[in-house]
Amino acid sequence: MKTATLTKAADNGVNVEALLGAREALKQAPPAAQFTWRANCQWFEGAHSRSTINGYFGLGEEQTRETGFDIESDHPALFAATDNAATPLEIVLAALASCLTGGVASIAQHRGVQLNSVHVAVEGDMDMSGVLGIDPDVRNGFSAIRVKFHIDADASATEIAGIVAQSQKRSAVYDIITNPGNVRTTIA
Amino acid sequence: MRRTTAVIIGAGQSGLAMSFELMQRGIDHIVLERGEVANSWRYERWDSLKLLTPNRMNTVPGIPYDGPDPDGFMSVSGLVARFDTCLARTSFPVKTGTTVLSVVRLDRGYRIQTDQGALEAEAVVMATGACNHPKVPTFAQTAPGDIVQTSPLRYKRPSDLPEGKSLVVGASASGLQLARELQLSGRQVTLAVGNHTRMPRRYRGRDILEWMGRIGVTSTLYSDVPDLDRVRRLPSPTLTADETLDINTLQTLGVEVVGRCVGLEGGEAHFAGSLANTCALADLKMDRLLDTIDAFTTQKEFGDSPSIDARPAPTQLPDDPRLRIDLAREGYTSILWATGFAPDFSWLRAPHFDTKGRLMHDGGIVAKGLYVMGLPYLRYRRSTLLYGANDDANVLANHMQLGFKSVCAA
Repeated sequence: MKTATLTKAADNGVNVEALLGAREALKQAPPAAQFTWRANCQWFEGAHSRSTINGYFGLGEEQTRETGFDIESDHPALFAATDNAATPLEIVLAALASCLTGGVASIAQHRGVQLNSVHVAVEGDMDMSGVLGIDPDVRNGFSAIRVKFHIDADASATEIAGIVAQSQKRSAVYDIITNPGNVRTTIA
Repeated sequence: MRRTTAVIIGAGQSGLAMSFELMQRGIDHIVLERGEVANSWRYERWDSLKLLTPNRMNTVPGIPYDGPDPDGFMSVSGLVARFDTCLARTSFPVKTGTTVLSVVRLDRGYRIQTDQGALEAEAVVMATGACNHPKVPTFAQTAPGDIVQTSPLRYKRPSDLPEGKSLVVGASASGLQLARELQLSGRQVTLAVGNHTRMPRRYRGRDILEWMGRIGVTSTLYSDVPDLDRVRRLPSPTLTADETLDINTLQTLGVEVVGRCVGLEGGEAHFAGSLANTCALADLKMDRLLDTIDAFTTQKEFGDSPSIDARPAPTQLPDDPRLRIDLAREGYTSILWATGFAPDFSWLRAPHFDTKGRLMHDGGIVAKGLYVMGLPYLRYRRSTLLYGANDDANVLANHMQLGFKSVCAA
């Protein structure tokens, strides 16, 4: 090859070395890999509530952040609600979108692919006759979810498809949505 | 107590290959076999199965393929006949009808307890293979009692199963072939598709295994593989003797495709909603392999390679694959678990297992004088293929011989 090419390492703001280091450390110490995530929700009125998020358990001990986070939720005016915040359903779609984009960034970084922009549009279809108890054969949740990525990156279409596929393979929220899981509720 | 220098457990391809190598080196040994020579091939394969490797690769110890159809695919009975020829030509020291109950370490060597008495040996080679038990998920126990459950190790032919619909779980080589066989027998089949390694049988005029050999994929030693754990866990490729069989062609036959089977609850089977991505990953990975082959041919300017073939079509899927099936209500009468296999070393009483119960070894060397063969990527990708056993046996026999020499010198 005649032209000398300066290869610049991809920088998507992901510390791949640290992630790989953590992966190796947790492989050696499986109990440290057991994490528990939490959200604590306070009801205001109607459908309006606020979840506060701070501590979690991981690496064998309680972890706290300097500042916590609040996520409010409500229902829209269409349902005679106060519309103070997004519906829980939209928060689920946002969680899926964020989980996948984070995965895309990490995997692209690991594969040496520079991302210029990533935008993802998520839609979930729902037949309201499920949640409203009109038709017992209709499920409450989404009947279909569509995820559409718009990615500008220094990579071929096939490489981008590979990154997107891998981000789904390793996404926690994608797994939660596509597989059944047990939920156990108690009253304190 | 009978003493011998080495004991080989299992008289299949790996065990006989090792026996052959030890005979060449004049190492006194005995091969213990629970049933007959090539027992799994004789009794634990279905009737219509053809080998997944072309005939030229199907060497048995001491006998390369010399038949008229090196590119063809022999039936299992053809392979069994070759084992019988091999037995007629070479006098292997096999003790058939002998089941190993335990292997324990002694100060020097090992004690092997069998149902026919005990032996002591300096070295033990575990050649019982990677497929002793079907890996059936634990939730299988909760299936309705009147549904017949089977696995590729027990299933022989469609008439083994009752009339009615059948759920085939797993879409690697066994699942694809058995889904087709059952569908063609008139049983409506639903195929649950999990992670799989898609591969076309032929590409650019050659068998894919021949290409993999040429591009060096099959000759990478285990110690040079960056993420060996992952590679050893990979599902085996969807290679079958028939080049047209895949998830697309099964659907044209009327097979219904659903996602990975994730549970059974109250007679209802549940499937993952990730089918589209599972198939996208398999298609992308196949295309990367074919890209590597294309790049290799361009680089080497193979005059004899036909121009780029059309690639296998991307996997087509229904818009809304079903997530739940009420098995009894819809008339399902059988479930075939083609979900892979696991080896069984429960008779080895020694601390050589990791936290997940998997045997730990370094390219087939478990401990001093203790060897294992025939596991996925034991030394090479070909280690689980018929022709891979000979090379592994050669290397491990050399290691064993050196070990004996160092003991004598000490």
